[in-house]
Amino acid sequence: MNADIALDIILKLVAITVAFVVVLLVVAYTVLAERRILGFIQGRLGPNRVGYGGMLQPFADLLKFILKEDIVPDKSTRFVYFLAPVIATMAALMTMIVYPFGPDTRIPFTSISIPLVITRFDVGLLYVLGVTSIGVYGIALAGWSSNNKYSLMGGLRSAAQMISYELALGLSLIGVIMLAGTLDLAQIVELQSGWHGFHWFIFFQPLGFIVYLIAAIAETNRVPFDLPEAETELVAGFHTEYSAMKFALFFLAEYINMFTVSVLATTLFLGGWNVPFAEDIFGRGTFLFGLVSAIGFLLKVIFFLFIYIWLRGTLPRFRFDQLMSFGWKILLPLALLSIFITATVVFLYPNL
Amino acid sequence: MLVLLFILFGALAVGCALAMVAQRNPLYSAISLIGVFISLACLYVTLAAPFIAAVQVIVYAGAIMVLVVFVIMLLNVEQEERRRTRLKFLVPTAIALAAVLIAEVAFILVSVQEFRVSPSGATSDIGLTQSIGPALFTKYLLPFEITSILLLMAIVGAMTLARRGGLLPAGARVIPGAQQFPLSFVDPKAQPDDLTLVEADSTEEAGRLLGVEKQSTDYADK
Repeated sequence: MNADIALDIILKLVAITVAFVVVLLVVAYTVLAERRILGFIQGRLGPNRVGYGGMLQPFADLLKFILKEDIVPDKSTRFVYFLAPVIATMAALMTMIVYPFGPDTRIPFTSISIPLVITRFDVGLLYVLGVTSIGVYGIALAGWSSNNKYSLMGGLRSAAQMISYELALGLSLIGVIMLAGTLDLAQIVELQSGWHGFHWFIFFQPLGFIVYLIAAIAETNRVPFDLPEAETELVAGFHTEYSAMKFALFFLAEYINMFTVSVLATTLFLGGWNVPFAEDIFGRGTFLFGLVSAIGFLLKVIFFLFIYIWLRGTLPRFRFDQLMSFGWKILLPLALLSIFITATVVFLYPNL
Repeated sequence: MLVLLFILFGALAVGCALAMVAQRNPLYSAISLIGVFISLACLYVTLAAPFIAAVQVIVYAGAIMVLVVFVIMLLNVEQEERRRTRLKFLVPTAIALAAVLIAEVAFILVSVQEFRVSPSGATSDIGLTQSIGPALFTKYLLPFEITSILLLMAIVGAMTLARRGGLLPAGARVIPGAQQFPLSFVDPKAQPDDLTLVEADSTEEAGRLLGVEKQSTDYADK
């Protein structure tokens, strides 16, 4: 192994570590924001005691999760029981490496230009879909291995739900792929930088965007599609028997998945790191352009996360048969319609 | 570097395949099979075929195996006890077939080493999406369409099998509380196409109304 490859591997490892730490921090504060915003919606305060306005609450929670007693059910299937939360968290984190968090940026006072993406992959979008689909196993196996009726029902529900909505989710992205002509996420973002940074695919794919947004909520098992953990029917669903740090891993995986689908929505539909007029003001490749773009990207992601929290505070839960018929009879045909329209337009006006 | 990765993922694939066959618990076998698929996907990436790798993970590991795990969970298959093999002739047959397979692989390896062709520089884009798409829709259009018709036939066949003697007539809806369902829902001896409707609050009540004692379809009790 020569020195170049070693240096490359070290640089990638550093980049991955930085990205993971940033993502985990964002996730931690998403949890806090969710509790505060839900509190506001429901006319109460939410956690505001630890640190200024509750800013240290995520760390207090983490400490609590670590210090709690870890109870393993007596008749659980040990190996799978331990494996399930690991699969869930790993599948959630693994997608982070292909997202472009910003443009190529020059480090101040040097001439070194670094891309704000960990790796560019020819099939980046398919990689995301593939790794996300592995995440189902975390929940399904957790439900099976706990040896608990409620867990099993939660796991079954979640497997059925995630398979059903994965179809609509994947199909809603085909329109964007047809417009972009590539599966490389970094290139898809580059293609949206026209019109002074306003050439976003949401203006060409409104239907696909709506279908994606709904299917993504179902994919992450969030309200109003949180049937796998419906507490009125299933105690806590697939994670009924999980406690302490293993429960925290599931919790983490859910919020990382939320972050992931928000990032994907931003990347594919809202122009990724493209901030309107930023390129005209700062010029391409400068440090300030990179900074503004990365902040713009983060703000768009936070916008989606807010929508998630807002929905949770507003909407009641679906019934399971409603959930299934909605996914198969409404979302799937809508996604197909979106593909049909896009394909027709792209075929008739290839230079549009 | 590539050799190291090949050894790692190859060993993982073989190990998972062995575990899949050796496990008695069907769910462990399924998990091992998922391991095989993912290791194979990693091998495809090292062979510069990222598209095949991604499709392998999405289709096999992400969709088909989820359904397999789903079915195993739904039936809640217990650990199969080790019973004596009834079909004893299968073991020597399997060994003979495996020997043939190994011989084939060995033959290919030997013949490749005899007629070594040095790869040209432009081979690395074969596995990319942009070279697969046009080939699939121009040169290999007929096999592609035939494959899709084959899949469609499988779907239609599955639907036909599942619909035959269905428990509820098409269009019937199960509403919590008062329910309407055909006689065959509570009476296993009734004809499947007997659409006599029963109205009751629960399956048990319907069974009492019809004078049917034995419940056959209530899997929640198991």
